[in-house]
Amino acid sequence: MRKILMSVALCAGIMSVQAQNKIEFEQYKLKNGMNVILHEDHSTPIVAVTVLYHVGSKNENPERTGFAHFFEHLLFEGSENIGRGEYMKLVQSNGGILNANTSFDRTFYFEILPSNQLELGLWLESERLLHAKIDETGVETQREVVKEEYRQRYDNQPYGTFLPQMFKRAFVEHPYQWMPIGSLEHLNQAKIEEFRDFYKTYYVPNNATLSIAGDFNKPQLKKWIETYFGSIPKGTREMNRPTIVEPIKKEEVRDVIYDNVQLPAVMMGYHTPAQGTPDSYAVSMLAQILSQGKSSRLQKSIVDEQQKALFVGAFPFPTEDPGMALMFGITNMGVSIDDLEAAMDKEVEKVQTELISDEEFQKLKNQIENDMISQNSKIEGIAESLADYAVYYGDANLINTEIERYMKVTKEDIKRVANEYFRKDNRVVLHYLPKSEDKSATEEK
Amino acid sequence: MKKILSILSAALIITSVVSAQKLDRSKRPAPGAAPEIKLGEIQSFTLENGLKVFVVENHKLPKVAFSLSLDFDPIMEGDMVGYTSMAGELLSRGTKNRTKDEFNQQIDFIGADFYPSANGIYAGALKKHQEKLLDIMSDVLMNADFKQEELDKIKKQTLSGLQTSKDNPDEIASNVRSVLVYGKNHPYGEITTEETVEAITLEKCKEYYKTYFKPNVAYMAVVGDITLAEAKPLIEKYFAKWEKGEVPTNKYRTPLAPKETKVAFVHKEGSTQSVINITYPINLKQNNPDVIKAKVMNSILGGGSTARLFMNLREGHGYTYGAYSSIYPDELVGSFKASAKVRNEVTDSAIFEFNNELKRMITENVTAEELEGVKNYMTGTFAYTLQDPQTIARFAINTVKYNLPKDYYANYLKNVAAVTIEDVKAMAEKYIKPDNAHIIIVGDKSVAESTARFSAGEKVDFYDTYGNDYVEALKPAGEGVTAQTVLDKAILAKYGLPKGKALDKKLGKIKDLTVKMNASIQGQSISVTRYQKAPNKFAMVMAMGTMVVQKQTFNGTEGKVSGMQGNKTLEGEELEDMKLSSVMFDDVKDTKHTFTLLGIEPIDGKDAYKMEKVSPTGNKETEWYDVESGLPVKAMQVKESEEMGGSMVITSTFSDYKEVNGIKFAHKIGQSFGPQALDMEVLSVEFNTKVSDDTFE
Repeated sequence: MRKILMSVALCAGIMSVQAQNKIEFEQYKLKNGMNVILHEDHSTPIVAVTVLYHVGSKNENPERTGFAHFFEHLLFEGSENIGRGEYMKLVQSNGGILNANTSFDRTFYFEILPSNQLELGLWLESERLLHAKIDETGVETQREVVKEEYRQRYDNQPYGTFLPQMFKRAFVEHPYQWMPIGSLEHLNQAKIEEFRDFYKTYYVPNNATLSIAGDFNKPQLKKWIETYFGSIPKGTREMNRPTIVEPIKKEEVRDVIYDNVQLPAVMMGYHTPAQGTPDSYAVSMLAQILSQGKSSRLQKSIVDEQQKALFVGAFPFPTEDPGMALMFGITNMGVSIDDLEAAMDKEVEKVQTELISDEEFQKLKNQIENDMISQNSKIEGIAESLADYAVYYGDANLINTEIERYMKVTKEDIKRVANEYFRKDNRVVLHYLPKSEDKSATEEK
Repeated sequence: MKKILSILSAALIITSVVSAQKLDRSKRPAPGAAPEIKLGEIQSFTLENGLKVFVVENHKLPKVAFSLSLDFDPIMEGDMVGYTSMAGELLSRGTKNRTKDEFNQQIDFIGADFYPSANGIYAGALKKHQEKLLDIMSDVLMNADFKQEELDKIKKQTLSGLQTSKDNPDEIASNVRSVLVYGKNHPYGEITTEETVEAITLEKCKEYYKTYFKPNVAYMAVVGDITLAEAKPLIEKYFAKWEKGEVPTNKYRTPLAPKETKVAFVHKEGSTQSVINITYPINLKQNNPDVIKAKVMNSILGGGSTARLFMNLREGHGYTYGAYSSIYPDELVGSFKASAKVRNEVTDSAIFEFNNELKRMITENVTAEELEGVKNYMTGTFAYTLQDPQTIARFAINTVKYNLPKDYYANYLKNVAAVTIEDVKAMAEKYIKPDNAHIIIVGDKSVAESTARFSAGEKVDFYDTYGNDYVEALKPAGEGVTAQTVLDKAILAKYGLPKGKALDKKLGKIKDLTVKMNASIQGQSISVTRYQKAPNKFAMVMAMGTMVVQKQTFNGTEGKVSGMQGNKTLEGEELEDMKLSSVMFDDVKDTKHTFTLLGIEPIDGKDAYKMEKVSPTGNKETEWYDVESGLPVKAMQVKESEEMGGSMVITSTFSDYKEVNGIKFAHKIGQSFGPQALDMEVLSVEFNTKVSDDTFE
């Protein structure tokens, strides 16, 4: 058996504060292609066992959206050796916590267990990967649960449909046009064989990254990993990896949505480059200038001085393929939506025309330093970051070095990306208005 | 007390478990020896002004956090509810030494977190910025400068925030819960409204800051990459100048659980889910020895995704994305809450299941397996929270604040392990009160009536979003409209003739009636046939293909229900009701029911008269008649059903009326019973086909 040991090369020359807190880890591949990352930390007797599957909503068949997320539910139903409903019970009744989440790009499962239950975690995750139970009963139950999740997350929340409304207009070709929760109709139509096919295609070791952090004995853990995962056969089916590139917009897309809300809100989405590209860091810093902290421009100008918004913010929405940076504002009472939108545009224009000051630039760097250090405060966060960096960029050590990528961004870069991506013809603008303002509805009567 | 080193023991747990044997996957791996859980060290000192300081060293990350919390009796805010939290917000709007912009700029420049509130301040940053951070924090504590202009901005924001809360079912539920559980004359029952916000004055905010922000009622937790030797002079330097002062104390009456269970309903337009809270106050202070046992009990009931509520409502029935319960100890008054968000049509079914689970906790012992699982879970999560060094600081502060035994946290796991099955039952008997609860529902009012049966008085109390009584806005029926005119209009609309000889003659010609319908239930097609024969024979046959699934008959004297679950002969009230409803054209011939007109309410967007119909046996039914056409459009009743394990709501809707031989029949009939729904389509209506008397046997 040949294990590829990737001992981690220490990057010298990082800022001193970084060296002090370097996250040490070991990374290797099993014969069946499964990626393994281990980070040892004995300060608390707990261990985080996580598996990242490189399948998200973008890998789905457009006629069967919601599959990846549905699996996040279905794969807690049990396996050949784990009874229905026992999965969660085994973890919790042994002192652990568990959860999972699904994005456009991947599905992530984790358990945090007392360190003496590490082997249980490996067994559970290997069962999930090897032979999960996919039957009518499980599918039926989880369909209902997902419907409730949909209602709770989108239908019954003010502004809850903002993201799906935004992405379906922003992306007409690329699969980011649907949300991970997908279509309830598709899930209803899907036959049991389709779920089984999806499982056999994507839930294979060569599409999985096992990332473990916490209190363990490494030689023992590596033997267990080989025992539980080494024997799982490699997947052979072709995975759908969309290569489609969303065509560049020629003009602004603009729409009004009437909903059960009291205060009008505006959301803008600008097409931006994929995560990890040099420009994505500049875009992220641009969002920071606009809305991180009370001295940020949107907060100071629009919320505080002009009092036009109850809430306003700018957020990069990192995705594996080119995605979006979002801006969102809820009007203060008595402020028109157009007024708020103009005020937000004006702040963007300022960044487009004036170079930011050295002081503001230093503030950004200080904030990034704080954020990068803080993200490693918990072992489960470390396990997830290591897996993300390894899968998305092929370099888990970015957990230690990504900060350098931010530090390479110049003031000029920020101004440039503001002009390059935050263009009106490159965006979608949505206005959310109270239903009572929907004139078309009353005219129809 | 023995403290053990976890680091060493953890490394030693795993010794020689490895084997070359083939893996038996059906065997769940055995755990290693339990790791010993060590509480981190805590050091403390008190400044001369009374500020109690706790230091927890943790050098994993180069960060330090200073969190200050004030400990005094909660205060009533009266007609200015919200002013204490506004005072908290004003803390970050500038000091006598720093303008607001300077303050914000300085905090952001060092990438710090700074969260002031009505009860303290949390400040955290990288260690290299700690002095700057303390300089700002102490300035805020001692020299905050409250300005009218800033208060006005906060008020405007708060008023806008209240607008958005009106759409948020969780916030509505939380408001109503506060009012009902604690009462408006208790600090926990006060609610911020437009009125109270408008009334808030700058003076009041200043007074609060001056009175309550005092070192002698404050705890400071210093946590992170810092030693005691380093922390002590720093805290001295920045906080010794802070002057102590007299802080008032307050006492309140203890809110009590309601004498009997009540249903409170808030209608929210466009709801797709009902937010359900089953809740009441409990007398459980943090230092009550029941706390750990009660928490174990609650964990079994609804503490997480393997607890009974979750397994029943989500995994068993698929009603919800999650169902939970919680028990909160508190110095003034604690509370219990069970909650879920469920789709509209299963609101009553979900409450029914909640009640079952609550009652089961009281009447049955939990299993040893459940208890063991929950103990393990609580042990595991206890260890998990220790990952965050703030936890240790919190433990130390709680011990002082709530007057806990000194070794409370050191013995915590031992006490969890000692809880017995009998303890759990005793705790359920003491703290689970399904018969003394407020059932609060925020959802669409169309489901409200189905929940009346859960209140002891069999009625629903309506509230507005702030927990004020709210009279359900049924429109008045208008001048001259009575129950009788509604019924008369319905008969005219349906039969083309008013009650009287002409109609009797028309109906007299009809000896029997056969209505064939088609329905689908869970994807299966079934046929439903209704037979009626003058004067009062009735049969309803449901069949799948040629197989009869269920048959219900009344031959004039005897009533029967037969089906795959067996046969049943109707008796007593059930038989009496059957006798009445079996009368052919019962709406014309009926004299036994009494009707009351309640008002006008829209059904599917069209106004309908809402009527209550009571049978001689006392059974109630609600009916709706379309204002425009006069025809019945909906009916609803609550049925006791042993098979379903209690009562359930049956709703019928009637639409697509078509005339057959001069009589209008609804050709689409929808029926829902509990979570099931059945849509029936009428295929044919036939008269006088000489239906055999055997059909009704």
